[in-house]
Amino acid sequence: MTKIKEQIFSKKNLRILKEIAVSDFKVRYQNSILGYVWTLIKPLLLFAVLYVVFSVFMRFPVENYQLYLLLGVIIWNFFAEATVVALRSFETKQSLITKIYFPRIIVVIASTLTSFMTFLLNMLVFLVFLCLSNIGFHFSFFFFLIYIIELYFIILAFSLILSALYVKFRDLSHIWDVLLQIGFWLTPIIYPVSLIPDVYHRFIYLNPLARVIEYSRVVFVDGYIPAFNLNITLAIMTILIFILGMFVFRKFESQIAENI
Amino acid sequence: MPKLVELNNINKIFRIPHERRNTLKENFLNFHRKVKIEDFHALKNINLTINQGDFIGIIGRNGSGKSTLLKIIANIYTPTSGEVVVNGSISPFLELGVGFNGDMTARENVYLNGIILGLSHKEIDKKYKEIVKYAELSDFMDMKLKNFSSGMQVRLAFSVAIQADADIYLCDEVLAVGDMSFQKKCFDTFQEFKKAGKTIIYVTHDLPSVKEFCNKTALLDHGEILTFGPTEEVVKKYLQSLNV
Repeated sequence: MTKIKEQIFSKKNLRILKEIAVSDFKVRYQNSILGYVWTLIKPLLLFAVLYVVFSVFMRFPVENYQLYLLLGVIIWNFFAEATVVALRSFETKQSLITKIYFPRIIVVIASTLTSFMTFLLNMLVFLVFLCLSNIGFHFSFFFFLIYIIELYFIILAFSLILSALYVKFRDLSHIWDVLLQIGFWLTPIIYPVSLIPDVYHRFIYLNPLARVIEYSRVVFVDGYIPAFNLNITLAIMTILIFILGMFVFRKFESQIAENI
Repeated sequence: MPKLVELNNINKIFRIPHERRNTLKENFLNFHRKVKIEDFHALKNINLTINQGDFIGIIGRNGSGKSTLLKIIANIYTPTSGEVVVNGSISPFLELGVGFNGDMTARENVYLNGIILGLSHKEIDKKYKEIVKYAELSDFMDMKLKNFSSGMQVRLAFSVAIQADADIYLCDEVLAVGDMSFQKKCFDTFQEFKKAGKTIIYVTHDLPSVKEFCNKTALLDHGEILTFGPTEEVVKKYLQSLNV
């Protein structure tokens, strides 16, 4: 087997990572007239439709529902978009990975980072909404940074598994589309968990995204930090998912170039 | 002479299904029919040692395993069995313009390509003028790459590739590009590389250039190294085997 001592995060590989992520982000919106604005319009439009349906027509009894909803939509949108794009990342970067060697994981990380940049832009919009609302400043806001990190690693783990399996099994893109649609309704995005009967809570909370979204709402809208044991549970879930992601990816990594 | 590349008993087997099933439906509808899988032995028991300063030619017919061998050395493919030891950094010219993106300008592509080949932003800043001058494209650098002719793209790619600082250069048919004057320029650059004592592995069908540059040559046939030695003899043997 190949004996190259490799450091995934050597200076050279980090430069490659940055270059791919940034140029993909540029190119993604370059040929459209509204450019970056699209990154904001897409989730905002979804938000607007859901808001009208569930706040005006159906009237969820939730205070600050618009903030609840917007945060849920933005986080879900990040997860869905990042995994869908990453799933095909080896296919879109085929010309690169069959011609030159660098650690394959860089392709997936770059792809998720590109989506991460979109997410950050969306969060700016959320912060504007937050400032316009009657919620004052809370120190608990800063705790969201931890959830961002956890969210990113959950997304990276899913992306690693999906991208590696997709090379061998092309149906995965359709299957994943369907699962995402189901996931959208099973995750507390448009409704808060408090509206669900207690018996189902433990199933809802098996979904790490449900936790990320709910806890983020708590730090922003309710203005306090969720209980210590809840945070620990989420952290452990994140670590386990990430280990699983790395394990699956490592297993398929060496075959990617010849199977794509 | 320090050994830069060492290949011990390399085998590479590609499993080629005769009817490729990638989707669930295909698997589902045809589950009763067995997929015939053929093993294609692309490389058989390859042993090769390359020392610093060697200019190695690899010749052989189409499908003899030349490109697979380069991809194994470049770590793009993993061998089915055997051991690859590489001491040093590799710059593959396996194909020129790796990572080129038609939607970006030529200038942006120089940076993108250069960074993928291992240069830093600063290094490219320093070499940028030289790259553009070598490619003879100074008037076009703000144009989108997709509007370049293929010859222009290749010239730009080659100019970036030779700036990459590596111990080992892998070249797969890259000189068969550009017009005559640019080809001559490429060969001059190769001559300089050789003088500078760089290690190059050169895959080609262009025998005169092999004779001119390579001190040693390997002849591949059906995945095996038939002979490895001084270029003159190996090329002679190859020509005999071709009956031309």
